[in-house]
Amino acid sequence: MSILYDEGQEAIATESRRVLEARVSKEDMLSLLEGVGRYHEGFWRTAKEQGWTALALPEAYGGLDLGLVELGLIAHQAGRTLSGAPFLTASFGVAKAIALYGSDDQKAAWLPGLARGDTIGAVAFAEGANALPAAPSLTLAAGRLEGRVSGVAGGLAAEVALVFAQGPEGPVLAIADLAEAERSAIASFDNSRLYADLAFAGTRAELLLAGEAAREAALHILALQAVITAHEQTGGAEALMEIARDYAVTRKAFGQPIGAFQSIKHRIAELYALVELARANGIHAASREGKDDFITAAAAARISATEAYDTASRDCVQIHGGIGVTWELGLHLHTRRARSLAIEQGPLFFWEDVLVDRLTGEAA
Amino acid sequence: MSDLEAFRARAAAWLEAMVPLYGKAAREGLTEAEDLALARRYQKAKFDAGYAGINWPREFGGQGLGHLEKVTFDTEEMKHGLPSFYFGISLGMPIPVLMQFGQDKAWVKERVLKALQGEEIWCQLFSEPSGGSDLAGLRTRAEPDGNGWKINGQKLWTSWAQYSDYGVIVVRTDPNVPKHKGLTYFWVDMKAPGVTVRPIKLVGGDSHVNEVFFDDVKISDDQRMSPVGGGFAVAIATLMIERYVATDSAGFGPHLDLFTSLAKNTDLNGRPAIEDGRIRQQIARNYAMRSALQSITARAMAMMQAGMTPGPEGSLNKLVAVRSRQKLSELAIDLQGTNGLHFNPHASQKEDWAASWINAPTGRIAGGSDETLLNTIAEKILGLPQDHRPDKGIPFNQIPA
Repeated sequence: MSILYDEGQEAIATESRRVLEARVSKEDMLSLLEGVGRYHEGFWRTAKEQGWTALALPEAYGGLDLGLVELGLIAHQAGRTLSGAPFLTASFGVAKAIALYGSDDQKAAWLPGLARGDTIGAVAFAEGANALPAAPSLTLAAGRLEGRVSGVAGGLAAEVALVFAQGPEGPVLAIADLAEAERSAIASFDNSRLYADLAFAGTRAELLLAGEAAREAALHILALQAVITAHEQTGGAEALMEIARDYAVTRKAFGQPIGAFQSIKHRIAELYALVELARANGIHAASREGKDDFITAAAAARISATEAYDTASRDCVQIHGGIGVTWELGLHLHTRRARSLAIEQGPLFFWEDVLVDRLTGEAA
Repeated sequence: MSDLEAFRARAAAWLEAMVPLYGKAAREGLTEAEDLALARRYQKAKFDAGYAGINWPREFGGQGLGHLEKVTFDTEEMKHGLPSFYFGISLGMPIPVLMQFGQDKAWVKERVLKALQGEEIWCQLFSEPSGGSDLAGLRTRAEPDGNGWKINGQKLWTSWAQYSDYGVIVVRTDPNVPKHKGLTYFWVDMKAPGVTVRPIKLVGGDSHVNEVFFDDVKISDDQRMSPVGGGFAVAIATLMIERYVATDSAGFGPHLDLFTSLAKNTDLNGRPAIEDGRIRQQIARNYAMRSALQSITARAMAMMQAGMTPGPEGSLNKLVAVRSRQKLSELAIDLQGTNGLHFNPHASQKEDWAASWINAPTGRIAGGSDETLLNTIAEKILGLPQDHRPDKGIPFNQIPA
């Protein structure tokens, strides 16, 4: 996979940006903050219409057989405008796990709906600070799931969840039918992510993989999602860097544009550096899917994208001064999203350890 | 295998063969004069093997290949500690400018061939005590003298001036006009009467930079390489010659593997330091930063191969890599505690944390300080306004001192 985008990929970037800028507004996103359980329906309708839900899934099940590079490009644009729902990443994680590790029956049962976007999926591995628990508290026995997971992105809307549980003989990767699960909504600082705690009590679940292979597979799925999220974070950081730049060339103080002060212009130049480093790692990681060093590349992408978005969200507000902290200006949409995306797919504590384990040869 | 990969393989094999003759082991214990003599032999060997002037025209003794081949060779060469640095400035800036702007073509060709073979060295006389980043604020002056010019003043931080046969110089020829407009570009004979070179010992112990004094140094008008008053444009052309050069994501300090193995082998609170979260975080963050820089470089190379112009993000390497190297070097010394107090002034900054640390500030200042690079990114890439410049548009001799 090349690290240079071809014409088709450039077209995906341009077209998705055009559509999203036309259909997702700051006002829409602001109103979603003020209630629990709602997402941007226009965003999701667009994702389905444009085939983004099918993009990186197998053709045999209604997919378009493209890959992480293309999905990453769309995630980047969604990050710029703020994506209106978490499903693009969450459903992809579930679908990819079924495509990679499921039986033909499971693929036929779930993939066409996930590819159309009619079925929404969620990945429910995390237990608090543990993005992929060493000893999961969820248990799976005789096709029934018991236990709780917390803060599942998209958990309020998903019909199916990918879970990592303790089986009779070691860890398992399974898909759970959420019709029977109990969901409690989380009132969050970023409500359109539809976070929910899920409680399973004898919930039906189908096994995908068992044993250490299940743990490796779970990490692989997390890494795929992390690369998509890294693109989304980079898109958000890039948008903030541009917003800060545009403000700094127009806003005047002490008789000159504030961008002429080095305290401001150097801050924005530093953001440029963070955005470009994040972009470079994101492109590299997307091109390494299927290679031995994919997890390492994904971890690096995740680290630089999180640093870029966090820093941009702090500095862009700071450069704006008082207007930056108003509800109406909406910079806080990115401040909130930088934090929620920093947690989804595992915080940096997790990815730093994954990366160092690989660099020192301690990982399996 | 692509042509470029074949070129890389040939160059790598040739460089391997040169290591026993000119590499670190061969240079160990040599005086600087002996090392320079060995470096000249290495440069001659490069010329004979077709690896000097890789992307220069054949008429000047070059190989007529592309920029990619040049960067590819330099990247391979950097792996071996071969003594190419004495000629880095000479062949990097003054000689290409001479090829472009020198008046007497036969004389230029003779100089270029001698420089390519390591027989002659050129230096670049730009910075002065009164300014480095503010190049156009320079004060060394040239006044008309008969049919030629007479130079008086002082240059500073001139790399390898002590070994140079010639230099290119920017001087003020008219103090009555705004600072950028009163400059003229010449070449000078470094052995001419009135030129005095004094090496400056830097904090790391070496003295590759110098101060150079000019006392009534007479030059002829055919040494002029720009129109009178047009020197600033040629100086900028000098600095723009190679936008994409071989880079080092380690910031010319140690590879991250060296830190990782230090952390594995160091005891911290009764456990290997590699298990300490503070150490792990630094390794992870540094890895991410370095892999991003490598990806930027790989993308730039791929773009050049595809006939496209690489993006401006290539300018980030120096800014990001060197300051990270500085911090990582501090941490590596801290990690060793009292064992980290040793210092060997002859150690390589690519292999020794103390050498890397003590020399890191030079890397953040020379060839464009961090602050200058940030200004360039802000102004040239992002379109932010220039700083307030009280000397703008004012004749040089009326700028408050």
